[in-house]
Amino acid sequence: MLTLLSVQLAGAQVRYFTKTGNISFQAGTALEDIDGTNKSATSVFDAGTGQIEFALLVKGFEFKSALMQEHFNENYMESDKFPKSVFKGKIMNIEKVNFKKTGEYPITVKGTLDIHGVSKEIETTGTIKVLNDETVTSSASFPVTLEDYKIAIPGLVKDKISKTAKIAVYCSYALLK
Amino acid sequence: MKKAKRNMLALLLIALACAGYGFYLYKKKPADVRKEKAEFSIGAAELVAAFNADEAAANKKFVDHVLGVSGKVTGIKTDSSGQATVFLDSGDMLSAVTCSFYKEETPSLAAVKQGQLVTIKGQCTGKLMDVVLNKCSIIQ
Repeated sequence: MLTLLSVQLAGAQVRYFTKTGNISFQAGTALEDIDGTNKSATSVFDAGTGQIEFALLVKGFEFKSALMQEHFNENYMESDKFPKSVFKGKIMNIEKVNFKKTGEYPITVKGTLDIHGVSKEIETTGTIKVLNDETVTSSASFPVTLEDYKIAIPGLVKDKISKTAKIAVYCSYALLK
Repeated sequence: MKKAKRNMLALLLIALACAGYGFYLYKKKPADVRKEKAEFSIGAAELVAAFNADEAAANKKFVDHVLGVSGKVTGIKTDSSGQATVFLDSGDMLSAVTCSFYKEETPSLAAVKQGQLVTIKGQCTGKLMDVVLNKCSIIQ
């Protein structure tokens, strides 16, 4: 009985979770601001192994212009065909994060980003902030080349849309109990 | 001569109208969902069940549409910018309804308590773990 208990304890996973992750992008140029924000991304990570995942609904991006939103969904992201975007990866230096101590910890994340039905390996740096025993935040920002994900920009608007989009991630997690 | 001039003027007017319409489209803000009528009134449990049963069909039926969803509040989360998200119980442990509110609507949630039955209007964006509604406001 006692051994069973200790095995269970050793195997206990400490996970942090959110359903209100904020993921935004900027793909404008000097000619035009093009920004979209998604406030309902889900994310979960394991404080032991560093496994981390994000998922969002492409239709959930909000824009300042109705036309921008329409073009984003219909022409570029084809969100009826590819409704979700997912990242699955690993925080490579999770052992450096002390979840018992308030503070900011730099992290490196590697994994596979799936956008528009295309999967690509990416690597980025970011920050984990430990606020208290139960709350931590993650933030990161990295560029994505639209061509890599087969997102085609028509010649007519080529000067208005950047070839790379800057993605920014900000999530506030709670300990999963 | 006179006729040619008149034609020119007509063409110019048409061109101006087109340019104006183009500019209007270009500048048009996304629809304010608060002013739109809910196309479906549905319970949170029923909505989640529809997505669980056939996600493709539910996507077709509900995504992009304005829904009025009723359910019991399981939690409210307000982020550092003051924007609130309300979660509705669906009876399914693994899947609720996530309602992301307009930032200006946060004060309307001040009196809403956990366990309370509410109806929330918002635009459906699909299902991740939860069925997600965007641009939400409380209607009851």
